[in-house]
Amino acid sequence: MDKILENLRKAIREYDKEGTEDWARKAVQEKIDPIKALDVMTVTIREIGDAFGAGELWLPELVGAATAMTAATPIIEEEIKRVGATRESQGTVVIGTVYGDIHTIGKTMVSTMLTADGFAVHDLGINVTAESFVAATNEHKADILALSALMSTTAPEQRNVIEALKKQGIRDKVKVIVGGGAITQEFADSIGADGYDPTAPGAAKLARTLVGK
Amino acid sequence: MTSKGFTRNFRPLEILTEDEVEAIHRDTLNVLEKTGIRVEHKGALKLFKQNGCKVDYNEMRVRIPSGLVEECLRKAPSSYYFKARDPERDVQIGGNTFYFEPFPGMRTVDLYTWKPRPATEKERDDACVILDALDSVQCISPYTPYFEVEGVSPVMAIPEGVAAMLRNSTKPQISTGHSRDSEIFTIEMAKAVGTEIGMNFNMAPPLTAHADIVEAMFRAIQAGFPVWLTGGVAMGATGPATLAGATIVNNAQNMSGVVLSQLIKPGTRVMSSHSLSFAQDMRSGALAFGGVEGMLHVAAFNQIWRKYEIPRNAGIPGISSSKTMDFQSGYEKAMGALVAALSGSSIIMLHGGVYGELSWHPIQAILDDDIAGMVCRFIEGVEVNDETLAVDLINSVGPIPGMYLDKKHTRDWWKKEQFLPKVADRLSYPDWIKKGKKSAQDYAKVRMADILATHKPKPLNASQEEEIERILGEARQYYQKKGMM
Repeated sequence: MDKILENLRKAIREYDKEGTEDWARKAVQEKIDPIKALDVMTVTIREIGDAFGAGELWLPELVGAATAMTAATPIIEEEIKRVGATRESQGTVVIGTVYGDIHTIGKTMVSTMLTADGFAVHDLGINVTAESFVAATNEHKADILALSALMSTTAPEQRNVIEALKKQGIRDKVKVIVGGGAITQEFADSIGADGYDPTAPGAAKLARTLVGK
Repeated sequence: MTSKGFTRNFRPLEILTEDEVEAIHRDTLNVLEKTGIRVEHKGALKLFKQNGCKVDYNEMRVRIPSGLVEECLRKAPSSYYFKARDPERDVQIGGNTFYFEPFPGMRTVDLYTWKPRPATEKERDDACVILDALDSVQCISPYTPYFEVEGVSPVMAIPEGVAAMLRNSTKPQISTGHSRDSEIFTIEMAKAVGTEIGMNFNMAPPLTAHADIVEAMFRAIQAGFPVWLTGGVAMGATGPATLAGATIVNNAQNMSGVVLSQLIKPGTRVMSSHSLSFAQDMRSGALAFGGVEGMLHVAAFNQIWRKYEIPRNAGIPGISSSKTMDFQSGYEKAMGALVAALSGSSIIMLHGGVYGELSWHPIQAILDDDIAGMVCRFIEGVEVNDETLAVDLINSVGPIPGMYLDKKHTRDWWKKEQFLPKVADRLSYPDWIKKGKKSAQDYAKVRMADILATHKPKPLNASQEEEIERILGEARQYYQKKGMM
């Protein structure tokens, strides 16, 4: 059993997507506790996130590991469901790239890191209108709404989404975090966001802090 | 009569061999035919289909045969006039001539704290006046340069910006064509004052065209305006990490735009813009603005698109990764501008951008005016003729105590040969101390005040002004009705 989990961990550390999926399947076949398997994966991705934060790893490694982890997660989650186990969620996140902007990479990286960190993530994709963000925030009772905008022309749309939350009277029910190439802390402050971080692992940490975990 | 522009008098910089150019061309055609482009617009897909492309409506994907690409590259004009509000300032684009335009920024920036903040309407208008005054700026680029302006709703940023450009400058103008139908009002305003506006279309890498930009392209071309095809990739993120591979993605994107523009209306004036290709910084995830990889890419891009005889726009010189006006922003901008000019860009974006697209400042634009001046002087090259060789003079002056300072030849020639920077510090050391140890930035502030005190752009006439107000009112109503403001 330890060998399978060790290989699962090793595959993520080697940015090996197919290998990670294979070892996740083997873990299921060998009836390894899926909660334990998911924990191993989460710890591994956090270690990689920390190494990135410390300047030991670079973005291609971080994203390579996160992609491997995301590919294997559904295999384990399905098993968790099958055996009727539950894993404590860190909280619920609604995430998307704002209207007018179809850039996906940064948003997907944050989405992946949040999933890896144990959040229930509802990724609305790209070019998402303010109304859709508001509706999804209500529907999923989101703790966190994460808005991405790459272009300086679409950054002001983040303000629109926050205004829409206010109009619906739910601004105080959800923490809004913003990010993307065009965003700075000053900009985030000026539009009344609750948090900003320039990196994907940083965004996951920020989310944890905001939900008090 | 047209604005003069700058002429390169020698062979352009070539960094690829003929075989390498051919390999990139061949592989770009391969990508367009095999993988194609995602075009999120039914009308465009239909037009591609009618012209022999393979179209998958579910995937919104068009695969373009090589023959059609090459035919459309030939149909696009190699040089053309681009109109200004003042006909004396029309520009002739193409060939060995090039022009400068500013690079935009979202906000203005405080010169002491370097904190960006939204510009005021007055700051936006003043920025247009300064750009109208600077001789090295021949075209004014999108967003005016600010697009977050105090008291202006985000959806009105482009229409209000275009109005500010038209009111405060008579130079040829380029705006953006991908922002929530704003092009409808841009086109109306340009027509109302009897001019045209180049419309910028940003592809989303890799290999995707968002519905908004395609719709805007149809509108601009139907209005008879030229189109700026702007792509760019983040090398290692939205394109391959290799320069050759990134060039293929960028070329495929722009070529698909050339094809679409020529299918909508053959002969449409296009500008292929390298604009926004940078390496991805693998630490911060930010683009490496001002990185040397962007400069290599622009040189390769220019070499390839010169072969297609389609005018080329370069955006990289306008942006630096520095958050302030410092040593780094100086060398990044200057190197980028020089490489773009040497390798054959037709329009170079340079003036005023402070960090990425995040901020803009008129002081930076004035500093950049000196960079532009140096680049232009370099590009003019070395004039060699009997008079410049000056061999009779050299023989008559002879060795020391002979000198040249008192000669007519010197008086005739030095000003033609030397570029005189407007704000660079060139004082002797004692004078520098005596005059308060001033830097180029200090002199730029003085020049900015001078310009604003003396330069009065030709205003719109009363009926044009009325029309602009009416169209802005129409835009506000349009967005209010849509619940967007």
